[in-house]
Amino acid sequence: MEALKTIQPDLLTLSQDQFNCLVPYFTVFAGTCLSILLSVWGAIKAKWPVFLVASLTCLVAMVNSLVLIQGTSQSLFNGMMVSDSYSHFFNLIFLGSALFTIFGSFRYLDEEKMQHPEYYVLVLFAALGMMLMTSAQDLIVLFVALELMSLCVYVLVGFRRNDRKCNEAAMKYFILGSAASAVLLYGAALIYGATGSTEIHSVLKFVQDHPQSLNPIFGLGFSMVLFGFLFKVAAVPFHMWMPDVYEGAPVPVTGFMTTGLKAAAFGTFVRVLLAIGYGKGISSAIQSHLHDILWVSCALTMLVGNFIALTQVNLKRMLAYSSIAHTGYLLLGILSGTRSELGFAPGVMYILIYSAMNLGAFVILTLLSSEGDSKLNLHDLSGVARRHPWLSFAMSVFLLSMAGIPPTAGFAAKYLVFYSAIQANEIPLVVIGVLSSAVSVFYYLRVLVYMYMRDPVGSPPVLRVSLWSGLAIASMILITIEVGVLPEQMIDLAKRVVLSL
Amino acid sequence: MNVEPWVVLSFCAIIFFIGFTGVLIRRNILVILMSIELMLNAVNLTFVTFSRQLQHMGGQMSVFFVITVAAAESAVGLGLVIAMFRTLRSVDTDQIQFLKE
Repeated sequence: MEALKTIQPDLLTLSQDQFNCLVPYFTVFAGTCLSILLSVWGAIKAKWPVFLVASLTCLVAMVNSLVLIQGTSQSLFNGMMVSDSYSHFFNLIFLGSALFTIFGSFRYLDEEKMQHPEYYVLVLFAALGMMLMTSAQDLIVLFVALELMSLCVYVLVGFRRNDRKCNEAAMKYFILGSAASAVLLYGAALIYGATGSTEIHSVLKFVQDHPQSLNPIFGLGFSMVLFGFLFKVAAVPFHMWMPDVYEGAPVPVTGFMTTGLKAAAFGTFVRVLLAIGYGKGISSAIQSHLHDILWVSCALTMLVGNFIALTQVNLKRMLAYSSIAHTGYLLLGILSGTRSELGFAPGVMYILIYSAMNLGAFVILTLLSSEGDSKLNLHDLSGVARRHPWLSFAMSVFLLSMAGIPPTAGFAAKYLVFYSAIQANEIPLVVIGVLSSAVSVFYYLRVLVYMYMRDPVGSPPVLRVSLWSGLAIASMILITIEVGVLPEQMIDLAKRVVLSL
Repeated sequence: MNVEPWVVLSFCAIIFFIGFTGVLIRRNILVILMSIELMLNAVNLTFVTFSRQLQHMGGQMSVFFVITVAAAESAVGLGLVIAMFRTLRSVDTDQIQFLKE
């Protein structure tokens, strides 16, 4: 009971500065509660109120985070959470991802006859979970936030209740996801046992103070945490669930998962890796062990993702494998983060740019899909460019950016990641990365070939692009091209963000 | 009676891996859900044991959060099972294979 006395009430009360740091979280929480109220209030049956409240919430919270990104680090709730540039940078990604998912799915939900307001509530709650997850400084807070995010996404994946594929995808994701969370949690419990704390700075301090006395329990613990995260980011060999889930989920949800979910997992991964002493303070044996696991996983992820994507004819599945490949590049950025002058900046920048281009591509896929997410095969895209030149142009920009062709943002991001990996002396990985990236150009360009150079089959119905989807696509194009042409600003931002870690 | 911590910890590890194996090899989804609960409860026991060993309250507090999350998780899981049963008329993982290469 001695331990109870160490809780100091003054650390739990919020000062004005701390309160200001929490405004984005409060905003999203309040917006979510308001959306729930509106969605169960019998008097309002229209879809507009919840949609508008959800979008506004995201916008307001984004503005708040944009302001706070300049601020200093603040430790909150007795050191269980932190508000620094890093967490607010990621908040921007999550909220942006949620906002444009909501925009992209507004008309889609009408067409699929599943316009239930719960959809927006779940997206907002998932975004809140992501925000808390990257700000968490304590493994238990991290776990609760992770589950908040995952539970909402399980439901979103199975949102088309009467569809077998959808149900199956949700069930698979639920079983594997909860097992992975349990593994991660067991790892956290073992780390707690070995170091006496779940708070990641105390863990780091313990690791630095006792470099030699770390027992197998700690090793086992951090391996399990590592595997849990590798599962969440869908790195090979823990990627099996991903293509199935991405194919089965409704298209906008898939877009949300490839961007928000992945960014959240990566953002937290970097924090936890640093906390268990990656790059500083940990004994060299564990260090090289950790490095080897990441090395193998990174190489396999780049190869498997790109090569299997070659054979896919369903666009959703192809983008799922391409997303696995991008996980590989992101892992490369993290792997070389501690030994290059730019640090984790290239990795962090890659996450943002990857989210922007992937989200854009998925908003377009949402528009192209017809009833029940069918008609998303390559040959269904034949001749789309004649009917929808602007949509095809936007899709080409996103696909070229994913392939890493200048002057798009994907090029700048990939260049930086490979550059920092060369500085970190990871030459073999860079060779694998560049070669597999060259392979990836094939399947990205194949889509363009179908869109521009094939004759249309039959007469496909004319797509109506809603104002909201148009807005989402335009913003993503803006980011993709702007960062591609003038990357300096973004690099500076990423550097500053990473410094706050 | 005093039980050595390592005995309890090994016990937890065994339960955890029984749960993990259950998730991997069992075919009935309800049994898989039980296996997941088993894993989470093994983690709870681990937390409590370490908490006692380290004379630190953090571990016991964590258990409350884990229990809550586990409850939420099984609620969502059972909801998904019902949704699946309505369309597939089965809770057997062998029956669900629409999403394959």
